[in-house]
Amino acid sequence: MKKTIKNRRLMLGLVAAGAAGISFPPHTNAAVSDADFDALKQMVLQLNSQVQSLRQTNQLEQQTHAQDVQQLKELQAKLAATQQTAEDAEQKSMAAATAQAQPPLRAPIDEATVNHNFQILGDAEVQYAQADKQNGAFLLADFAPIFLYRGGDNVLFEAGFDFGLQNSGGTIGGSAGYTTTVNLSFAQLDYVMNDYMTLCAGDLLLPLGTYSERGAGWLNKIPDDPLAVDLIPGSGVGAELRGAVPLGDSGKLLNYAVYGVNGPGSTDGTGAASSLDVNGNVGIWSDGNTTANLHRHPTGGGRLAVFLPFKPHYDLEVGVSAQAGEWDNAGNHLYTAGVLDASLHLGSSLEVKGEYIIDRYGSDAAGTIQQSGWWVQAGYKLAGLNLELPGINNVELLGRYDSYRDGMATTTDRYTLGYIYYLSNALLFEGDYEFYNSTDSTVPATQLILQMSYGF
Amino acid sequence: MNKINGVYDLITPPAFPSHKRQPMTAKHMKKLKQAENLAKLFIGLTAATIVGLAPTLYADESSATTPVPTNSAPAVASPAAPADKPVKKSLTGAELYSIHCNRCHPERYPTERTAAQWKTIMLHMQVRASIPGKQARMILEYLQENSGR
Repeated sequence: MKKTIKNRRLMLGLVAAGAAGISFPPHTNAAVSDADFDALKQMVLQLNSQVQSLRQTNQLEQQTHAQDVQQLKELQAKLAATQQTAEDAEQKSMAAATAQAQPPLRAPIDEATVNHNFQILGDAEVQYAQADKQNGAFLLADFAPIFLYRGGDNVLFEAGFDFGLQNSGGTIGGSAGYTTTVNLSFAQLDYVMNDYMTLCAGDLLLPLGTYSERGAGWLNKIPDDPLAVDLIPGSGVGAELRGAVPLGDSGKLLNYAVYGVNGPGSTDGTGAASSLDVNGNVGIWSDGNTTANLHRHPTGGGRLAVFLPFKPHYDLEVGVSAQAGEWDNAGNHLYTAGVLDASLHLGSSLEVKGEYIIDRYGSDAAGTIQQSGWWVQAGYKLAGLNLELPGINNVELLGRYDSYRDGMATTTDRYTLGYIYYLSNALLFEGDYEFYNSTDSTVPATQLILQMSYGF
Repeated sequence: MNKINGVYDLITPPAFPSHKRQPMTAKHMKKLKQAENLAKLFIGLTAATIVGLAPTLYADESSATTPVPTNSAPAVASPAAPADKPVKKSLTGAELYSIHCNRCHPERYPTERTAAQWKTIMLHMQVRASIPGKQARMILEYLQENSGR
């Protein structure tokens, strides 16, 4: 456009110069006729008219050019605004993506002022039971908290209690009302010495098998315990070294535990066969005055196990554990026990576990008595079937077989069918139906148990 | 009434005193025999299930491995080349969480506790479940990163 304007200005200049040259010819003395003068005059007038016309055209073109320049500036301003809007949008988009990718900022924990070292875990159960030829009853309301106190990174004190109710009346000599029972299930101080070893001392849950440590009401999928776990002590007062050694980087572990505790005691101090008390002997008498082991030497024991995870939710654990020590006050008789335990998970739906338990102890009159029992329990969560049915994915079906041989002619076998309905991952509605075969006439043929259990 | 690990036991007499024991009768022996047969059947079915699922288990594990990426040209690749070896993948905190928690109880959601609470609970679990310290720290890190606060 500028080039065109220049050309037009050049043409206009040439025309004007030509006109001027023609209009003001050099003075000559030659005579000019009227006709020539008129023709020249006419020509000058025409040229003047053309110049005026060109001036007007030029003015119009200049106005047009000015308008074009103004439009161009406006368009450039709009383009700049659009580019700014696009850049803002891009920055906002990037900021949003960055915010999504990064975890939300957390306020730093104030280690000095926040008392987060104290923690309560545990479980609570409400149970209804109805045995064959007996009245059904809401059997218990049980509250079993575990108190944890962490002192730094390596020290933990933990104590488990069990609060329950029982009738005061209903029997000869009973009184009105009810009593509340409080039991100390365990109380131990743990010192994590390094990544592979922990020292525990106090009233310990003993690693004789795994049930005593993994059988709390919420953890046990069937409302009552296997019969054979009564053959071995669940806890003992003493000290323990325990830990695990990794076997490679795939999660495989070698678990170990060794302990020394007071060991079993005698209910009456004698070595009579029926006086064995596997859970007694805590080192202090009920009168509070006598503090001593009931017998001379402590009891020793331990467990060794391998844990083999194949991938998450697929694993096998096999362990063997044993304990041996005196049990009567005179220290004349030994109590020894051994447990073989195994646990298998195949996916998040199938679990099979069990224990074989055997013990042997000497006695004054009955000689050596050998007791044994075992249990195996399988559970399958129906979620593994991928059925699109309402509620079905919350159900786990259970089966258990357990047996009990007390070494004194009493044998009991039990078959249990049960279920869990998971109201949540911690609130369980459990139920089972049990069939007994026992040489003990006091044992009912069947029993129904319903239980609501909550783990917290 | 006796209570075992927090559960009242309706069935087991307190000490099974010997003077209450009754001699084994033929009826009892027959019941015991039936019980033993049923137990053997149960064990057999369980063992068959395990044996039957074992190949699937190992097949799934091998298929989960990832081949090693390699820059070597295909022409120089040999059967013993690194590309044929599976990656030796170290477990993450999330995987360790799934492996260990499920041993004893249903997994608890990380959001159920705060980061500070998980620190105390994880120390308890490290002792109770005999988890090596390094693995326990990785699980704790996973739980705290995904905790409720």
